[in-house]
Amino acid sequence: MSAVPSKMPLQGLFGEYAAGPFYDEMFAAPDEPRPHYAKIFQKLARMMPSQFEERRKHADLSFLLQGITFTVYSDGRGTERLFPFDLIPRIIPSSEWQRIDRGLAQRVVALNLFLQDVYGKQRIFADRQIPRALVYSCKHFMREVIGIEVPRGIHTHICGIDLVRDSKTGEFCVLEDNVRTPSGISYVLENRAVMMRTFPDAFQAYEVLPVNHYPAELARILRSISPRGGDDAQIVLLTPGIYNSAYFEHSFLAQQMGIELVEGRDLIVDGGIVYMKTIHGLTRVDVIYRRVDDEFLDSLTFRRDSVLGVPGLMGAYRAGNVALANAVGNGVADDKAIYAYVPTFIRYYLGEDPILRSVDTYLCSKRDDLAYVLEHLSELVVKAVGESGGYGMLMGPTADRARIEEFDRQIRADPRNYIAQPVVPLSRVPSYDPALECIAGRHVDLRPYCLYDGENVTIVPGGLTRVALQADSLVVNSSQGGGSKDTWILRGED
Amino acid sequence: MLSRIAESLFWLSRYIERAEYTARILDVNFHTLLEQSRDRYRLRWEPLIVMAGEEERFRRIYDEANAPAVFEFLAFSQDNPSSIMQCIAKARENARTIRDCISREMWEDLNGLYFTVNRFNPAEEMEAGPHRFCDAIRFGSHRFHGVTDATLPHDEGWEFLRVGWFIERAEMTARLVDVQYHALYDAPAEIGGSDNHQWMAVLKSVGAYEAYHKKYHSSIDPEKVAEMLIMHPLHPRSIRFSMTEVQSGLRAISGTGSGSYANEAERLTGKVLERLRYDRIHEIFNLGLHSYLNDMLRMCGSIGEDIARSYFYYAVVA
Repeated sequence: MSAVPSKMPLQGLFGEYAAGPFYDEMFAAPDEPRPHYAKIFQKLARMMPSQFEERRKHADLSFLLQGITFTVYSDGRGTERLFPFDLIPRIIPSSEWQRIDRGLAQRVVALNLFLQDVYGKQRIFADRQIPRALVYSCKHFMREVIGIEVPRGIHTHICGIDLVRDSKTGEFCVLEDNVRTPSGISYVLENRAVMMRTFPDAFQAYEVLPVNHYPAELARILRSISPRGGDDAQIVLLTPGIYNSAYFEHSFLAQQMGIELVEGRDLIVDGGIVYMKTIHGLTRVDVIYRRVDDEFLDSLTFRRDSVLGVPGLMGAYRAGNVALANAVGNGVADDKAIYAYVPTFIRYYLGEDPILRSVDTYLCSKRDDLAYVLEHLSELVVKAVGESGGYGMLMGPTADRARIEEFDRQIRADPRNYIAQPVVPLSRVPSYDPALECIAGRHVDLRPYCLYDGENVTIVPGGLTRVALQADSLVVNSSQGGGSKDTWILRGED
Repeated sequence: MLSRIAESLFWLSRYIERAEYTARILDVNFHTLLEQSRDRYRLRWEPLIVMAGEEERFRRIYDEANAPAVFEFLAFSQDNPSSIMQCIAKARENARTIRDCISREMWEDLNGLYFTVNRFNPAEEMEAGPHRFCDAIRFGSHRFHGVTDATLPHDEGWEFLRVGWFIERAEMTARLVDVQYHALYDAPAEIGGSDNHQWMAVLKSVGAYEAYHKKYHSSIDPEKVAEMLIMHPLHPRSIRFSMTEVQSGLRAISGTGSGSYANEAERLTGKVLERLRYDRIHEIFNLGLHSYLNDMLRMCGSIGEDIARSYFYYAVVA
């Protein structure tokens, strides 16, 4: 292996690069790339902007042809847009990843135990670890599933846990749990495929851990929860349909796993058994990987106006005739107020200290916290507890007075509905800015995908790195102009 | 196979075939016209609108059936549900709902065709003439069928594609022959009857011009053109050939052997084929070509309906 000089001048695409006051994942100092980034930095620094631009166009075309798009509804018609892909990979050293992997596994197991408990014996209330009223008042707590025994005790088959690297400490911490129907894994797999086609030379310089075993592992778990047992379980993926923003992912996963992609209208419940309508009659369904939210699953139990689900499905589920992944009612575990208690769950259920830090969280339902939050609104991030995707959020430091006053009123009117956290200064990774035609630092987060089979947690190395492509923006959501990057975990030593 | 998926496959290939057929007819008519006098204008263009079954809609938008109007209406119009653009968009929409059931190559190919077609600028193409556009559609359709054949397992799904593809083709050919004969054969001799160029155009539009000469070794005779398009056993655009494909597709789906039938769609297909095999062209002309073809179209309609009844729809269970 050739020695890499630690100091390298910034040139070419990096000509204008400034690390700024944030943790820069590529550079330890302005002209000193971190060791695990050195080779890719050299490669990029030697490229002409036009060469880079050509590869970028090639990658974009590949996403377009495959229809890897998401739907935006802002213009009322729903147009298909590309999820911007940034060609500069995000690299996480192996030693750091191993800690993340252990921390996530610990968290997933604790969340699963919490769900088993609140929908089962409810020991945690008796032991006064969390107020019953807080749990019962969560928007996604489902009384309807109390007492249902889910196959193999698994509630959280698939979790997407959002991590951020705090620039102050340089350490990864958990920002949010997603244990209902987390999406994005298809981008992880497709980003990698496109990256390997567009930048094959970059892979030759590194040993990057593969990610494409995800569908097979998920399929194995889905088969294992079939109520009838056996290897020939009929598994389907239930999608809301082509107008759902994650439809590409639904069809992608169904195809990769070799299972049927169904809509609610393809299924029917008769005598407590779920069937699908085929050209040769009805066929029994054993396992449903559902990408339809709880409240739309069954119009007889939940929202009566839902046409996305299957009337009678909950009856079949309760009778144990069909398995659902993820389980119904998981939303209580990723409620933003419950988030503050996850370290408690880890200590209570596992008797361990949390490996990954959580972000300090103020619950406005607590009197002291509320007073503090109202005092410091202009410094904090305020979030409505039942929302996701960046909705119902106040970014104190960048909000104007009117917006702060609006939140002040809303919080006072319904404190239970809000939490607040200090602003986490997200780390940055060099990313290509097509408008400036050069590389600049952009904020990122990381969503690893965790699969739980009741005993072990399998985490695909890396996950989805979302990047805020606007300069200085901390918002990485795709609906707000965010893009993504291929995420590399390197084999062995860094 | 899910009923919904079978239905989408069936319509996917119908729409592609409709787009291709429309493109062929547009292209050939346009080029024949370049060598024609102006009086025949109306005679050439109006039948195309009749064929598409969209006269009423067309009249609401345009005053006259001239080349630019017909081209725009059949190729690009948003108001014409059977326009080529609309067909390609609907084919893609169907493919999108079942993309996990078709090969990645099929999806990427059709998606590419959709983007290609959408990049055409209607105003520019109308200026340049339809050839470039129609060529793109024709080759797009051929390529899609080639990709399908080479990458999709030839299982039930493939059979539904085949049935949709050929039932559409049979209907389009029946309409083409019907409309052209009505316009040309029945017209006074000085405008239509004896004009070989127009019969040549009909043959060329289905790519059967060379095959005709090979078979008949004679000048273009309207009756023989009809014979070729209706009952040629092996030309891939004849009604008989198309219905034979429909029959094998349906039998492969139900697993029925020859000599019997599993549903009404198979029974009617057998009946249609029986006539196509044993009738003679002069008998058909004696009985009246128009009523013969109309009968055939009605049966094709019933076959389509019964395919839906047998495979796509479930009665609502209370």
